[in-house]
Amino acid sequence: MIKQPSLLSRSNIVYTVIVGVLIVLPFVLDSRTMTILLTQFCIFAILAMSYDILLGYTGIISFGHAMFFGIGAYTTAIMLSDFGPTVGIFAASIVVGIVLSAIISVISGALTLRLKSHFYAMFTLAISGLFLVLAEKWRTVTKGNDGFTFRAPELFRERLYFYFLVLICLVIVFILLKRIVASPFGKVLIAIRENEQRTRSLGYKTLGYKIIASVIAGVVASLAGSLYVISLRFVNTSVLTMDITLDALMMTIIGGVGTLIGPIIGAGVIEFAQHYLSGLARDYPIFERWIIFFGILYILAVIFFPRGIVGTISSSYNGWKLKKGQKKTVKLIEKEEIQQ
Amino acid sequence: MEVLIGLVINGLATGMLIFLLAAGLTLIFGLMDVLNFAHGGLFVWGAYTGVFTYLWSNSFLVGIIVAILTGLVLGFVTEKLIITPVYGNHVQQILITLGFMLVLQEMIKVVFGPNGVPVTVPKYLSGSWQIGDLTIIKYRIFIIAVGFALFGLLYFILNRTKIGLVVRAGVMNREMTQALGINIKRVFLIVFMCGAALASLGGMLMAPYTTVVYAEMGMEYAILGFIVVVIGGMGSFQGSLMAAILVGLAGSFMAYYVPSLSVAVNMILMAIVLIFRPQGLFKVAKG
Amino acid sequence: MSNILTLERVETYISQYHILQGINFEAKAGEVSVLLGRNGAGKTTTLRTIMGLSPASKGTIIFDEKNISKMTPYDIANCGIGYVPEDQGIFGQLTVEENMKVAIRKETDSVMQKQAYILELFPDLKKFWKKAGGNLSGGQKQMLAMARAFVNDSKLLLIDEPSKGLAPIVIEKVMEAITEMKKHTSIVLVEQNFMMASKIGDTFTLIDDGRTVQSGEMQSLIEDEQLKRKYLGIG
Repeated sequence: MIKQPSLLSRSNIVYTVIVGVLIVLPFVLDSRTMTILLTQFCIFAILAMSYDILLGYTGIISFGHAMFFGIGAYTTAIMLSDFGPTVGIFAASIVVGIVLSAIISVISGALTLRLKSHFYAMFTLAISGLFLVLAEKWRTVTKGNDGFTFRAPELFRERLYFYFLVLICLVIVFILLKRIVASPFGKVLIAIRENEQRTRSLGYKTLGYKIIASVIAGVVASLAGSLYVISLRFVNTSVLTMDITLDALMMTIIGGVGTLIGPIIGAGVIEFAQHYLSGLARDYPIFERWIIFFGILYILAVIFFPRGIVGTISSSYNGWKLKKGQKKTVKLIEKEEIQQ
Repeated sequence: MEVLIGLVINGLATGMLIFLLAAGLTLIFGLMDVLNFAHGGLFVWGAYTGVFTYLWSNSFLVGIIVAILTGLVLGFVTEKLIITPVYGNHVQQILITLGFMLVLQEMIKVVFGPNGVPVTVPKYLSGSWQIGDLTIIKYRIFIIAVGFALFGLLYFILNRTKIGLVVRAGVMNREMTQALGINIKRVFLIVFMCGAALASLGGMLMAPYTTVVYAEMGMEYAILGFIVVVIGGMGSFQGSLMAAILVGLAGSFMAYYVPSLSVAVNMILMAIVLIFRPQGLFKVAKG
Repeated sequence: MSNILTLERVETYISQYHILQGINFEAKAGEVSVLLGRNGAGKTTTLRTIMGLSPASKGTIIFDEKNISKMTPYDIANCGIGYVPEDQGIFGQLTVEENMKVAIRKETDSVMQKQAYILELFPDLKKFWKKAGGNLSGGQKQMLAMARAFVNDSKLLLIDEPSKGLAPIVIEKVMEAITEMKKHTSIVLVEQNFMMASKIGDTFTLIDDGRTVQSGEMQSLIEDEQLKRKYLGIG
């Protein structure tokens, strides 16, 4: 299972096609709104993937994921407005955000990841709540709920360039995370998700693994936050609210937990559906409450399709394939790849 | 001195309101081992339905009754649709009830409109007593009294009646209680409905206190409720009561002396408890 | 005497596994009927199926002239079947007294008399009346579990391996108790310990791989060396 499938495996072809479509799409659609929407989609896909590392692979529920997103967002926004809008400062701000997120996730993980799942959930809720309060009260730096605008680096003011930067980030993060979850380290995470006690009795120091998983997730979320504020050129405390965490959660669940590609698809479904539903709201006010639809979809997913869009499709696809009797080992490896 | 007493009364009243919310959570989590993040949704539905009938009928009592009925009905629906599929699985419980919370909250906006609704205290509970320099607001005393009364009632039911025994036995070994002839599914359903009714009642009583109801209040107060449950030691009634009072008092004193910290104090309190005493401050051995 | 319990061609699945593939079994009123068989033969599942805890997918279960095969566990219990599971199912954080209270459905005179009677039989329970069930010894837990099942005027007790993990001297006591309870109720016993089974059993039913192999009077099994060797690995 650690063996990587060959470069030309079916899933790699699918991924390449998807990336190809994402490259071409802004030229085909050729509208500013669409480019912005695609940018948003890529950013939230990164965030949702980071959440999947926690929820899908390690079985940890965090209610504080917005905290890391917010740290990245504020670090980038503050550094760009204080030190000038250059690409160098932007890159530096990403690094600073990542380091901050890593430190905070190590601390909070070391303190509470040894506890049961719901304690960690509550703890992250409290800590991220504190960050939100902090951001609201520390007005000299954050301007509180009003937020502040800032200048993005010259290069990224061209929407298309920025979109490609975000897309590249998405691809790189996807490949890196895919490597991580396919590595022996990733297998241990999955083992922890399935049965932490047994994993511990096999001699793994599960706490350490869980902390590293939370650091990876925090760091990637911070990157997503940094990119997010560039697309808005504005930041306020909304980046730290529970809504961000809930978005990541819904995208992961609806797309398919523990698949990495699932959260990307979930992000796509939610971002685009949200866009069109709020368009519909002009005619049908019920669609202003689009959250209801996602909420119901999400509940149904948890009950009936606990593996989300991707998990459900891939298992029925594989079931159909097995029925046809084409049981090639390569494909079985692939199946495991997808289903993890 | 007057300030001190005033702050204590404020703190106690807020604490009692949080206790009502936390009591439902404690019941559902402590006894049935179900993490119900939709609790805030039941709270806010109780508040809205209660307030609307109160404003329409001009009777606070009718409002309270309607709120409790709402809680029972919603509790029934929630248990049947949302909780039954995920008994015994904490992760799934957290995920699904959180989703249901969102739906409940948004449904409030669909049914009652997106704007807050102002509420006043009924005449016979409004006003205050003047003792020297001290002003005691009647409604707060009313809330404190209701809180203590409900605590006593719950304590009695759980520790002194057969129903309480059966519920506790059912939590320890579901299958065995069935084999002893008890319809444990129905018992759990009833417990869940009672917990939901407590939340709705809490919402209704909270409304005149905060003078306005709004859809997001469910989530806000549910977080307070969870903080109390965590500090109180997940599932202990006495613990929840103490923790609720502690949170109420801390909030009221902080708001007076260090207003900038008042929002954060509960979060800090919970974080500290989780780090140093995850079993809760007041956890007593279950007897 | 008439049958208190009859199982006809009962089949049970646990998830996708076909555990019981055709159990025929009869228990006569006032007797101790013993279910025998190797580990994994399906004895415990048979008791669980009777109780409705692992419902039968096929076949009929007649108890006291009622078909209980589709009933819920609590309805079956309320028909008058008491169940003592293999792990005894004691509510560990409740006291002995509270364990009995949960079990007692209605505090009628006859039930209270029965409680007094069973406490005479198990003086230890009286001694540790206020002690948490989880802190009892293995033998005491077994006694508490039997007391709980017995107390509600049960017409039939299902007892799953009462001798398991107990010291020989305690097993003696449990056997005495079962012989005593037999005066008031019928008993179906699952037992690995053949010495015990043969002493207190009136009839036997031998199951293997989820099917009934043979049944009859206990005495005939004691004499049938070949059957014992083949299915029980003894003799």
